[in-house]
Amino acid sequence: MLRSMLTVFPSKIKTRNYSNTIIIAITNSPQPVRRNASTEYMLLQQQHNPTSAYVHLPFCRKRCHYCDFPIVALGLSSPHGDEDEDDPRIVNYIDYLCREIKATSVPSNYNKSPMETVFFGGGTPSLVPPRLVSLVLETLDAKFGVCTDAEISIEMDPGTFDVEKLKDLMNLGVNRVSLGVQAFQEELLKSCGRAHGVREIHEAIDIVGSCGVENWSVDLISSLPHQKSHMWEESLSLTIQAKPTHVSVYDLQVEQDTKFGSLYTAGEFPLPCENQSADFYRMASEMLRDAGYEHYEISSYCKSGYQCKHNYTYWINKPFYAFGLGSASYLNGLRFSRPRKLKDYKDYVQNLENGLVNCFQDSKVDAQDIAMDVVMLSLRTARGLDMKSFGKAFGSSTILSVCEVYKPHIESGHVVCLDEQRREIAAEEFSSLLSEGNKINEVLAYIRLSDPDGFLLSNELISLAFNVLAP
Amino acid sequence: MSSFRRALRSKLSLFSSISTSISHPIATTRPLSSLLPYSQNASFCSRPRQNNKEGSTIDLNQYPSDNIRNFSIIAHVDHGKSTLADRLLELTGTIRKGHGQPQYLDKLQVERERGITVKAQTATMFHRHKFLGSDTNFLLNLIDTPGHVDFSYEVSRSLAACQGALLVVDAAQGVQAQTVANFYLAFESNLAIIPVINKIDQPTADPDRVKAQLKSMFDLDPSDALLTSAKTGHGLEQVLPAVIDRIPPPPGRSTSPLRMLLLDSYYDEYKGVICHVAIVDGALHKGDKICSAATGQSYEVSDVGIMHPELVTTGILLAGQVGYIVSGMRSTKEARVGDTLHHTRTVIHPLPGFKPAKHMVFSGLYPADGSDFEALNHAIERLTCNDASVSVTKESSTALGLGFRCGFLGLLHMDVFHQRLEQEHGAHVISTVPTVPYIFEYSNGSKLQVQNPAALPSNPKYQLVACREPTVIATIIIPSDYVGPVITLCAERRGEQLEYSFIDSQRAFMKYRMPLREIVVDFYNELKSITSGYASFDYEDSEYQASDLVKLDILLNGQPVDAMATIVHKSKALRVGRELVEKLKKFIDRQMFEIIIQAAIGSKVIARETLSAMRKNVLAKCYGGDVTRKRKLLEKQKEGKKRMKRVGSVDIPQEAFHELLKVS
Repeated sequence: MLRSMLTVFPSKIKTRNYSNTIIIAITNSPQPVRRNASTEYMLLQQQHNPTSAYVHLPFCRKRCHYCDFPIVALGLSSPHGDEDEDDPRIVNYIDYLCREIKATSVPSNYNKSPMETVFFGGGTPSLVPPRLVSLVLETLDAKFGVCTDAEISIEMDPGTFDVEKLKDLMNLGVNRVSLGVQAFQEELLKSCGRAHGVREIHEAIDIVGSCGVENWSVDLISSLPHQKSHMWEESLSLTIQAKPTHVSVYDLQVEQDTKFGSLYTAGEFPLPCENQSADFYRMASEMLRDAGYEHYEISSYCKSGYQCKHNYTYWINKPFYAFGLGSASYLNGLRFSRPRKLKDYKDYVQNLENGLVNCFQDSKVDAQDIAMDVVMLSLRTARGLDMKSFGKAFGSSTILSVCEVYKPHIESGHVVCLDEQRREIAAEEFSSLLSEGNKINEVLAYIRLSDPDGFLLSNELISLAFNVLAP
Repeated sequence: MSSFRRALRSKLSLFSSISTSISHPIATTRPLSSLLPYSQNASFCSRPRQNNKEGSTIDLNQYPSDNIRNFSIIAHVDHGKSTLADRLLELTGTIRKGHGQPQYLDKLQVERERGITVKAQTATMFHRHKFLGSDTNFLLNLIDTPGHVDFSYEVSRSLAACQGALLVVDAAQGVQAQTVANFYLAFESNLAIIPVINKIDQPTADPDRVKAQLKSMFDLDPSDALLTSAKTGHGLEQVLPAVIDRIPPPPGRSTSPLRMLLLDSYYDEYKGVICHVAIVDGALHKGDKICSAATGQSYEVSDVGIMHPELVTTGILLAGQVGYIVSGMRSTKEARVGDTLHHTRTVIHPLPGFKPAKHMVFSGLYPADGSDFEALNHAIERLTCNDASVSVTKESSTALGLGFRCGFLGLLHMDVFHQRLEQEHGAHVISTVPTVPYIFEYSNGSKLQVQNPAALPSNPKYQLVACREPTVIATIIIPSDYVGPVITLCAERRGEQLEYSFIDSQRAFMKYRMPLREIVVDFYNELKSITSGYASFDYEDSEYQASDLVKLDILLNGQPVDAMATIVHKSKALRVGRELVEKLKKFIDRQMFEIIIQAAIGSKVIARETLSAMRKNVLAKCYGGDVTRKRKLLEKQKEGKKRMKRVGSVDIPQEAFHELLKVS
């Protein structure tokens, strides 16, 4: 029965069947997630109707040396765009984007719900004229509805917007700005190929301030080539001085097929060594915490109440729509990535309109996959992995195995166990509860990685859990 | 037929025999191509020829002992032994020139790649020669032996079936270490030795110098030497006449009770075990009941013949002849090289020289991926079907799981076994540092022969009173410029100089007694590197000697890693210990906790390194569209962990085990 239900999932399952509780056998030996384990967890998340949309606006003036995103470089000519004459490449793309939105149907097992978050990411979305952004928002609203109090974020790069442009965007309903600062040192900006300088950063911060954007974020990158400790400290303190409600701190990832990838090797000069780079991470964690920011996700900090709602849908594994070049949606438990090349993307939109694209059928959702996603994403957050619902979905034997594998790391302080009231369970107590088997299931409510030690080694720790879930 | 051929192609064949077109009854009535169906791809077939009807079989009665010559070719590696063999086969029309691959008799991939002979092969050739005034048909058996010292027992058995040998020496390189070793083996077997100075077409050829070396080293008459170039064909026409004229016929008598020498064996999927034999006395017929002198087991001979070039049934083998028998043996382990086979219910004196295989080097073989144990087991079983000289026992290691302890005749044998496991059977193995059979004696009178260092107690109950280790006599020949560094190297390896002389003005000859352990790991590589590749080296077993040996344990965070334990001479323990821990520090990745790497003798730590904890491994940005990619990365990391071997909580990459093999 369960098996047959699963094979038809995800397209046919109905919301009202979700209350089926699956009886889970408890054994003492570590057990992987059973392939046909409870669908409950995924349902738990997937029964939420998608209320988030990611919209990719791929245009940049030039490609940054670390970037391997799907972008379209426009060249350095008209930095602010010409009000009267929009770049035809942008106009054309927006046309396809809106066609994609229109051609997208709400998956049958979801109800149509208005969008609670919309995120314009890029690329450099601030290069797109507000008039065209407006088109996209109108199309979204017509298709799904957009809540009046929706969080509408847009990524903006210094030097690509002025007061007027930002005001226009705000008038469209944009209420959150994510400012791509990356560094406050001229030489670093230059060496990573940013299209702006430090002056533009200060201007941009002033514009955001003068426009009265309440909710805004500064993006920074640590471990850039030639970055020194004092530079990083400077970037952090200047950021804190600017008083954004949110800070994203990304540790540089040297990707293949980027300019950095061809020039540098991670951990080797001129990139900071592993220890240095770990120190940068610690410094950010400490300085931002002292400045009143909450470290709510591996690379995200915010003032209380200013978590990025859109990004949070990712961490809690909720479904979301995605539109535009190379973007990835998550619906019915399936991640679907659109083509990364403009031409392929246009073909895709054409096919979508002709009813030739079906992102859901033919692929099965695997409980093990969901379990791994849930673990990977939750452990990135300060909230951590909700062991109660995880156990309900994947079996308490899985919980025991996860506990077993994390035991030494709880002792070493990399992993933290919390009870229902989010009080920490000490390592000795944890050990004794674990030795009594079932006891741990009663007390343990969350597992999280410690800040900063556990976060810093999150790859190690998450892949340990993977070993348990999919041996 | 073709599938049969395919099945055999990559496996081995030990022997093949080849016929000539000159005087043989079949050859005169059939085109050559029908005789050599497989010469094009040099694969061969063990099935008797289908067209051998009564009357058309080869009549071996035509070849009494007087018309038979059994000889072997011995040489240092790369001096042209296999090429000369090819030319002789072509010269007698046994294989067609330009067809068939070079090194015809070296069937194994490993033999071709390394230019060595691992298994004995024979070729039967027919040649007409004016002898004592009249044209006579001769049956010539070329017995191709492995040249390497690891197989010196096999070589000695093959040589026991010969009455003469071609001693091939490179005209430019002159006498080398293996030349010396092989000469003495042949000399001790009382063989007629025909010196052949080969490769005289090289610009650097100096045959006179080589003649002088042969005279001074072996007392061989310079006028006896044949000058050849197997490459250009120069001088080859003198070779077979010299074989017939200078080598005596086999001495056995057809009228005596049957005694045959077992030379080698291999396993054929269709026929079972095929033994290669030399009839010393008497005659063997199909259907005879025979018995092994070594095991006492009896068998019925279901097929007997020569190789032609594939197996050709003759129904009979007479004294002095060399051929194959199929006798219903289940495994090649029953076919002991050097054994005497005789008719049941006859009493004979077994032929001298039989020895059971002596294993000099031991190593643990483990599946690279722990779950592949069954696959490795299967591969080893299949390979030992064709190489009965390897001893195999199951063992287990906490670090590596279930595996095998294998005993080898020597280093090359071990290497070849590994290579064949990988090449012919697709096995991926981790092997532990090779060790030699040490003997430890304790105060309670007990003796322990140690094949696996892990099995030696680190803190024994009884006091150790003596330890003994096997030694070898090493022969080293080098250009005189390199004498200094070589003496230093040998001293470092605890060698004791026995002899030091000059072959001629440019070449030095040295003999050393050395602990086998010292040459097991990388000695030859080291020797070659300090002599720019000019050194030649060979060794023979010698007796055990008392030695101050200790067990060196490697500990990771206090836990001994059994598969990394070694036994070393006390004087070297410190250096080896340091080298091992440094290597490990380099090859173990940083982990979430600090790792202390120690080398210890008993409870005393002699070397220590600390691998600090990993500081950072985090994927910074992870936006919605990135989830799949990030997950793949983490899964990859997980898979990487899975391939590691774990001791306590420390993950050890497989490379670490491979690297340790390189520490002496």
